[in-house]
Amino acid sequence: MRDQISKYTGKLLADRSACADGIAFAAQDDALITAGAPDLAALAGGTLSRLNSLALVAARPSLPFADFLIARAGEGEECIVPQDTETRTFLHDIPFLRKKDLAGDPAPVLARLLGNRKGVIVEGIGIVAVGAITVEQAFINYSSVFHSTFVKYLQDLLADGFRLPGEREAFEAFRRQWLRPLFAEGLDFAGALSLDKNGILAEIERVGRYTVERGLVDSFFGNISVSAGELIYISQTAASLDELKGCIDPVPADNSSTTGITASSELLAHRKIYEQTGARVILHGHPKFSVVMSMLCDRKRECAIKDCWKECPHVRDLGGTPVVAGEIGAGGLAKRVPPVIGASGSAIVYGHGVFTLGRQGFGEAFAAMVDVENFCREEYFRQLDITKA
Amino acid sequence: MFGWTGKLLHVDLTRGTCERREIPSEILHAYLGGRGLGVRLMRDYFRLGPFEPDMPLIFAVGPLCGTNSPTAARLACVSRSPLTGTIYDCSAGGRFAWRLKAAGLDALFITGKSPHPVVLCIDPVRDELHPAQSLWGKGVKETVAALKERGSVTAIGPAGENGVLFANIMMGEGNSIGRGGLGAVMGAKGLKAVTAQGDGVTGIADRERFDAARADVMRLFLASPVIFGELGIAEYGTPALVDLMAQRRMAPTENFRSTFFAGSGNYSGPAIRKECGARKEGCYGCPIQCKKASAAGEPLPEYETVNHFGALNGISDLHAIVRANTMCNELGLDTISAAATLSAFGEARGRFPDAAEVASLLADIAYRHDQGELLSLGSRRVGEVLGKPELSMSVKSLELPAYDPRGAYGMALAYVTSNRGGCHLRAYPISHEILRKPVPTDRFSFSGKARIIKIAEDVNAAVDSLVACKFAFFGATLEEYGELLSAVTGVEYGPESLKAIGERIYLTERFYNCGNGFDRSHDTLPRRFFEEAGSAGEGIDVPPIDRARFDEELQKYYRIRGLDEDGGFGDRDLLGELP
Ligand code: SF4
Ligand SMILES: [Zn+2]
Ligand SMILES: [Zn+2]
Repeated sequence: MRDQISKYTGKLLADRSACADGIAFAAQDDALITAGAPDLAALAGGTLSRLNSLALVAARPSLPFADFLIARAGEGEECIVPQDTETRTFLHDIPFLRKKDLAGDPAPVLARLLGNRKGVIVEGIGIVAVGAITVEQAFINYSSVFHSTFVKYLQDLLADGFRLPGEREAFEAFRRQWLRPLFAEGLDFAGALSLDKNGILAEIERVGRYTVERGLVDSFFGNISVSAGELIYISQTAASLDELKGCIDPVPADNSSTTGITASSELLAHRKIYEQTGARVILHGHPKFSVVMSMLCDRKRECAIKDCWKECPHVRDLGGTPVVAGEIGAGGLAKRVPPVIGASGSAIVYGHGVFTLGRQGFGEAFAAMVDVENFCREEYFRQLDITKA
Repeated sequence: MFGWTGKLLHVDLTRGTCERREIPSEILHAYLGGRGLGVRLMRDYFRLGPFEPDMPLIFAVGPLCGTNSPTAARLACVSRSPLTGTIYDCSAGGRFAWRLKAAGLDALFITGKSPHPVVLCIDPVRDELHPAQSLWGKGVKETVAALKERGSVTAIGPAGENGVLFANIMMGEGNSIGRGGLGAVMGAKGLKAVTAQGDGVTGIADRERFDAARADVMRLFLASPVIFGELGIAEYGTPALVDLMAQRRMAPTENFRSTFFAGSGNYSGPAIRKECGARKEGCYGCPIQCKKASAAGEPLPEYETVNHFGALNGISDLHAIVRANTMCNELGLDTISAAATLSAFGEARGRFPDAAEVASLLADIAYRHDQGELLSLGSRRVGEVLGKPELSMSVKSLELPAYDPRGAYGMALAYVTSNRGGCHLRAYPISHEILRKPVPTDRFSFSGKARIIKIAEDVNAAVDSLVACKFAFFGATLEEYGELLSAVTGVEYGPESLKAIGERIYLTERFYNCGNGFDRSHDTLPRRFFEEAGSAGEGIDVPPIDRARFDEELQKYYRIRGLDEDGGFGDRDLLGELP
């Protein structure tokens, strides 16, 4: 399990979601092992040994957003409730512990909270997330919490502005230093994909890596497919986009075989998009600014619909990209995305993420996703600057 | 009290009495219901032989039954298995569970032996035994039809009456209480059937919280390709696994001599849909509806059944497989053990049965005619009598289902640590080793598996006590089910407390087994898996399992479980520590 721990420590560093000197893991097989920053490792070990689970990560996020959310929360609140789809579906809410409530060893109370949830935030310490059966799962849960707090903080900030001492400065540093320009230039894409299986697999693997390397998505948030005659090649469910080797299912277009039962939950959406648009490839991911912006709706006040993420019947627009509602998998997303994506080549799903097309290959799809996210990023800051002014 | 009724019906068949008694709420809180409650109620009886009159046959529902918690209208049946000698439980869906609860009961506790065949009839005003001479000898369908006025029915067929060691108890709608031969236990008691009706409602402590938790569960079902994906089990039923297992080279073929069967496409999910006009069916109150029925309403076989009447016996004729399934349902025979016993017998005599012979052998088994007399004892005893014990592909005498352990090492470990013997539904590592839920693990590695199996056994013991369906957990987790349970009962539960309950149940079962002479020597796989390779193909190699590595991981498992090197409890008085 030590190799797993170094692998996921590396991933936390590569995606810059945790501070280099603030990462620790614990894992238990027949014995407990811990690794990483000593204080955090002790906390991780102490907590995990109280849980009927295999692994745990405790790390200090590279951005102070989680702490800000706690500081901005009301007196009696004990958890934050982000509105994005990933959180809503898989995490529900994220409990937190305030610094002032941390007397002595926090491990027992942390273990109690983690006994009910996949991840928690401890003010001044970081995000602690558990992996019931693998180290990877702990990493995924950390990433989910990081993603959720990122999205929620940006949303709250737009709604309510700065409220805490030092908040504005920290946010400026995030804006100027942490964020990096997002671009597609300098990447190699196969021009027009052939029907050759090996070529297709290699291209999917490479594009998956690009999305993570360029910071477009966090590693396991998304899926990729190629349509090739009678087959759709699609990444598997719960696969990391930067590690797709051996994780791509060829699914017969006529459903004559069910081997693709392990394919991504968005298989149906992909299939319908291909049927309606004639595209060759689809790229789907959850870039953060797109997720944030997709949930802004100026009709919220007068609209009777409350479950916007799944019920909203309107097609909104973000810089020429249609925004629709719809739940994952067999939910409404598979109905609402295909009709709107053809014209623009991209679509955003409320609180969830972005789908883009390539008519020949991934160059177009990748560039489109970069454009959507860049538009949303700029638009976010434009609106923030207006509300601040 | 919300969720539970707090009542148990004690039936003494020897004396012909039925009496409703209270179940202490501490026991319900600590064991939930279903498997946990049943196992707890076995505490004073587990040493008795399965056919001794005082051996209880227990049916127990759970606190979620009667609410619209997804997949929770189920019950567990608990006793000691005549096939394996272990403590035994099986979960089954169907209206019967729901009606039993509506009749005001959390459990049925049946002991004794009736001098004449009887039917137990339960309704909210009266619980009575009725003579059933006229039904004795009848098939399941006819029995159910004859009793349908009295509510939902659970019954045995000829196999149970005749003491076939792998006889099922069948639910009226075709669901079965399978595998361990509890049908024979029921038959030995002279109990042909139980009927239940009632109109009670299960109270819910916090309706709003319940609705929110239910919505969370449904969203996860929608997000799970295995459940509601277009190639998932809601569409194709569990035979959706046929193509996948073929591709992964882990479909047991010809008594596990190989792991790939060229004819399996004939009984894949899509093939069954096309050939049999499969339509959706399923357990009562379940939104998934993973079971399939023919246009005429005949239940169609599950994955394990198609593989075992198919590949395991070298048969590729779908209609013959469907017929075998129908016959087993009608006779009250477990399909997996029946097919696997025929396969072991086939290998031993040098010829697997063909489609026509399967049908006649199944009838012989149920009535214990001719060769059926021997075959009715299951593959282990068949192998021993024929002088080829190594050909019984079983663990603790329970025939292995359709997941070759050479293709999934967690499964290998799970088979041997299962308290009821060679069963896929205890730790159920297929979920992560093959179906990538909740996250994928490396199926050809033992690394971390001891802990993973232990955790999953605890989780599933809790699931079986809720009583929810394993398939729900291809999407949802104990987080959402803990919420449902807390909302229904008003008692706070979460994943960690539920796992603790599961651990308590698991250890109790193991303790009973150890008390009956089981130890490490029973926690092993048939030799074949350590010595012969499976079928390679599609770039996948299926070598024999490394025995040393297997043993090492098993020892780890014992340590994690707090057991000694022999897999036992030493001097520890476990039961004294538990509520
Ligand atoms: S998923 Fe299938 S087996 Fe499980 S409760 Fe539903 S119909 Fe029954
Ligand atoms: Zn998505
Ligand atoms: Zn709206």
